[in-house]
Amino acid sequence: MNNIWLVFKHEYSRHVLRKRFIIAVLSVPLMALVIIAASFLAARSGYDGRPAGYIDRSGLFANAQQLPVEEDAFMPAIQFRAYTDESAAQADLEKKVIQALFVIAPDYMHTGKVQMIALDSPGSQVQSDFQDFLVANLLAGKDPAVVKRLTEGSTLKIKNIEGNREMSDNNFLAILVPIIAGVLFMVAINTSGGYLLQAVVEEKENRTMEIMVTSISPSQLMAGKILGNLSVGLTQVVIWVLGGVAAINLLMRANPELNMGGLITPSYFWLMIGTFIPSFIMVAALMAAIGATVTETREAQQVSGLFTLPIFLPLWFISVIMSHPNGALAKVLSFFPLTAPITLPMRAVLTDIPAWEIIATISLLILTAVVAIWFASRAFRLGMLRYGKRLSWKELFGRA
Amino acid sequence: MSTIQVENIVKAFGSQRAVDGVSFEVNPGEIFGLLGPNGAGKTTTIRILLDIFKADSGRVSILGGAMTEEKKNRIGYLPEERGLYQEIKLEQCLTYLATLKGLSQAEATRRINVYLERFDLAQHRKKKLKELSKGMQQKAQLIVTLVHEPDVLIIDEPFSALDPVNTQMVKDLLLEERGKNRTIVLCTHQMHQVEELCDRIVLINQGKSVLYGGLEEIRRRFAGQDLLLRTPTALPAALPGVASYEHTNGGYHLMLSAGSDPQAVLAGLLSAGITVEQFEIAMPTMDEIFIRVVTGDSSNE
Repeated sequence: MNNIWLVFKHEYSRHVLRKRFIIAVLSVPLMALVIIAASFLAARSGYDGRPAGYIDRSGLFANAQQLPVEEDAFMPAIQFRAYTDESAAQADLEKKVIQALFVIAPDYMHTGKVQMIALDSPGSQVQSDFQDFLVANLLAGKDPAVVKRLTEGSTLKIKNIEGNREMSDNNFLAILVPIIAGVLFMVAINTSGGYLLQAVVEEKENRTMEIMVTSISPSQLMAGKILGNLSVGLTQVVIWVLGGVAAINLLMRANPELNMGGLITPSYFWLMIGTFIPSFIMVAALMAAIGATVTETREAQQVSGLFTLPIFLPLWFISVIMSHPNGALAKVLSFFPLTAPITLPMRAVLTDIPAWEIIATISLLILTAVVAIWFASRAFRLGMLRYGKRLSWKELFGRA
Repeated sequence: MSTIQVENIVKAFGSQRAVDGVSFEVNPGEIFGLLGPNGAGKTTTIRILLDIFKADSGRVSILGGAMTEEKKNRIGYLPEERGLYQEIKLEQCLTYLATLKGLSQAEATRRINVYLERFDLAQHRKKKLKELSKGMQQKAQLIVTLVHEPDVLIIDEPFSALDPVNTQMVKDLLLEERGKNRTIVLCTHQMHQVEELCDRIVLINQGKSVLYGGLEEIRRRFAGQDLLLRTPTALPAALPGVASYEHTNGGYHLMLSAGSDPQAVLAGLLSAGITVEQFEIAMPTMDEIFIRVVTGDSSNE
């Protein structure tokens, strides 16, 4: 046990404490941050906080109230100045005191006509804010609850016939969860798998293998390596997920209407864990088996492509799976061990998967993981001292 | 009781028999030479000994029985295929491998410091292995072999890549380890090292043991009818019992006639008034024995 821990520690620390790993881990959230910052900046650069003017020829907005201004809002609501004299308003527009001038037509109540005059293109927000301003003032004096309902509209929920599932308008976010989780899964698999592959081939390349197997047992070595390198990938994903949760929290604080809580229910969470963990082990063991049969890192990477390709497969068919979550393709993909980790959670968001299907899929995954580990340790035992000569399939499946 | 017993082991890879009935015993506290030409089956024998390979048949006993995980910590192995983790620092690599041999982190660090000083590697401890020369890497590998103070040392070609100074250092080290009553199996085909170091040997050729026993006994067995004589006196043209002789650098090489006894020749020399400074039976070198056995030349045996 102590030996497994020593190998684990060695494998884990030599990747995690390296500059390359730290850069790889930080690069993704950093990139996301840059993209978010850029989009905020783009929105902000289109924002113009100067007031706008209006001339009310309809007489409907005599005692108009300004839109409420929130102190800490990112882009506060525009204020609207009332003018009676068009030439004075024109003069302010020329002096750039106001960014735009709205002229409300006398027959506004019937036609809804408003004219906007601006020197060059006004801020992005001024038109919608003026719209809100008009609505708010037209409704002034009504029951605040009615006003709120009218301005916010309805919240649409879709239920299935049994009534045990429902989806709301933020469904597109719900679909994002399995996709994002799937992508994270693939990245983690690729990272860990790549490291593992390298770690298994390494001792053959640098000829440390005989020292290792005369110090500890091959199974201790293999266990330590698999656990160590899996943890490297998991560390990466955990850092990203925590970063993502922090970012969502920040977003929700800045934008309270965005409700992201409830996207992941406990049962859904366990479904993801239940599919990801055994498939993670399965792919890792397959990578280790490849590492044990070949003799060079480069060759190993080429062969490993064959295994990682099917994992990506469900993302290519994402539109088919989304429109027919219970179709034949979706079902096949969610049963096949290599494609299951991405397909099953995706289907679970879109449809009701019968319990037996989930149990069957996860059992199949666990079984494949066990077989893969057996396969890896066998390949390792047979191939560990082959320098420069690849292990043949015949030897692998033949009698020991 | 012997430290290592190998009884008639056989190992085939496919149709080729790499080891085909090798037997020997290694006694406690001796340096035992495992010799043979390239491809004779030495490395396979060692790997079977260490339980890296399973023998197809035959029996191996080390430290009083079959190999176990616990015994791995009592054995130090310097493999022929050498290498260490290239991408990490020397000190870190040595400590990792030492802890795998059951040493605590603190004890490993302490002992490695001693060895790094002794092997003249102390100033390189923070360097990555790949930055070190081949000789330095080999010394590092020797540290890995010795650091856990094993009872049994199995050492495959320890002198390759070493300069004369380091070769001498490793030889001294091996003799020192023997002095501590450690058992050493030395696998090499550098025969002059065998002559200097080994107590007993086994010679393997084409998977079979062809020569086995004490070094002196074997050399005596291969010794022919030749004598070495050093004398200031000029030899007469004919000597009793001597078929012919050659003047060599600093002495004479005497070829005896069939059936004559070296002791009688010595008596004859003395009675003829020849001053004998050195008189010895010409022992064949291990190189000569090796070549004779491996090429199948059985003359003089």
